[in-house]
Amino acid sequence: MMRSTLQQRLLPLLVPGLILATWLAATSGDDFTAQVLVPPVAVLDSFNELLASGELTDHLRASLSRLLLGFGIGSGLGLGFGILLARSALVNDFAGPFFQAVRQVPSIAFLPMLILLLGVDEGFKLAIVAKAAFFPVALATHDAVKGISKGWLEVAAIYRLSPLRVLFRLILPATVPPVLTGLRLGLTRAWIVLVAAELMAAENGIGQMMEMGRQMFRIDTVMVGVALTGLIGFALDQGVRLAERRLVRWKAV
Amino acid sequence: MSLIAEFPPTSFVYAERIEDHDPPPAWLVALIKRARGLVLPLLLAAAWHWASSIDASTAYALVPLDQVWERLLQLLSTGELAINAGSSLGRALTGLALGGVSGILLGSLMAGFPLVERLFGPLLQAFRQVPLLGWLPLVGLWLGSGEEAKQLLVAVAAFHPLLLNSYEGFAQAEKKHLEVGRVLMLSRWRSFRFILLPTALPSILTGVGQALAFAWISTIGVELLFGTGAGLGSLMHTAQMAGDMGVVLLCVISIGLMGYGLNLILSLVRARLLRWRVTG
Repeated sequence: MMRSTLQQRLLPLLVPGLILATWLAATSGDDFTAQVLVPPVAVLDSFNELLASGELTDHLRASLSRLLLGFGIGSGLGLGFGILLARSALVNDFAGPFFQAVRQVPSIAFLPMLILLLGVDEGFKLAIVAKAAFFPVALATHDAVKGISKGWLEVAAIYRLSPLRVLFRLILPATVPPVLTGLRLGLTRAWIVLVAAELMAAENGIGQMMEMGRQMFRIDTVMVGVALTGLIGFALDQGVRLAERRLVRWKAV
Repeated sequence: MSLIAEFPPTSFVYAERIEDHDPPPAWLVALIKRARGLVLPLLLAAAWHWASSIDASTAYALVPLDQVWERLLQLLSTGELAINAGSSLGRALTGLALGGVSGILLGSLMAGFPLVERLFGPLLQAFRQVPLLGWLPLVGLWLGSGEEAKQLLVAVAAFHPLLLNSYEGFAQAEKKHLEVGRVLMLSRWRSFRFILLPTALPSILTGVGQALAFAWISTIGVELLFGTGAGLGSLMHTAQMAGDMGVVLLCVISIGLMGYGLNLILSLVRARLLRWRVTG
């Protein structure tokens, strides 16, 4: 029994272990030049070096502040627009079709256009991050507000609940879970698009670090970048999921 | 029957109003509602055109619309648009086929054999966390910026959604259905064909939809970032370098339209494949 649980525990480590062993074996000889593959230790060294020099912290700070600012703008506008789109027939008639049409175009396809319009400075990065966050949030908000059943509002009217109570006891609880899902989607998409934008044109940031690494054939820097990009994306997603769970605790699952 | 019942007092007023204004026919109302959707894009286009005429510096970024139109005719007559669009489409569909088939295979293996799931599940989960374009510099170093690198990335983009959805689909198959199959002594193939596949199909098709969208987005992304070879992304990259907003704009519109079209075709296929399902 003991043995089988131990086996169960170790099994998932088998394939990563094999990959690591192959990696170590491949880099122990002179088969690969440092431009193609470096040993795992070199990647770790490179990480420590980048961290000690403060370079990595600068890149991370640049990327994350862009992400937060752009996401803040985009999701704020998305929330407002989503509510308007759901509540006002006029807004829906006039802006709905255009909104749906623009939504069909992947954010990344707007990069060249924004570079031409706004130049390669901060503006275009914020704009693309905001755009990437705007659409999922607006859509989720629209659906959430549309999803409030008329029956609930009627019951609230019968009980003569004050508008504040309607807001806090009915509208917010009904809309917060789907809107949070939209926010999570917007945040992860914003991160992906930001990395792409920094790969294209930036002075700093994690994407630029990787792009420089590629141009200088520093595969260790590139690998540090890839791992960090994944970790940050994962942390952002899990962070919002945690918030989702805490905020919708009352919901019977 | 009294007069009052037949003609309630208010009916006179209504009758008069109706005679005054015939209600517009339903199709006209619908048309007007539709037309409202065109107002915003038209206004934006007008503002764009107006802004482009202010001075040379705005005309550089915001090209006049007649110039965009000229560019469109030019791209169409030289066949440039068709060639690049075809190249992107081919790359996305090849990636979908390569990545999708391997995703479905591995997903069904993982659902069928817990050992496979335990061996590869956590690793794949970890790899999935890196945004696809984050791999681009690494793949660029290993494979260069040619066709292999692009095709690999697009295939990986299509791989993950199909892996997840086919795994979920096959894992859903109910034990009792499989037991019925055993009682009927179905061969492995027949129990797959008549029990497992129909259960997993809706989920797999959802995965195909996601995979198609991801493949299309990443096709444009890798073409744009590598900027080599043919493809709408490369065309856009070149146009951006040359400051040719007209071509960039046309590429954006084509990308949106093609993505929409692909999605539409898929939803028709989906409806046809799932028509046996009782809905509602």
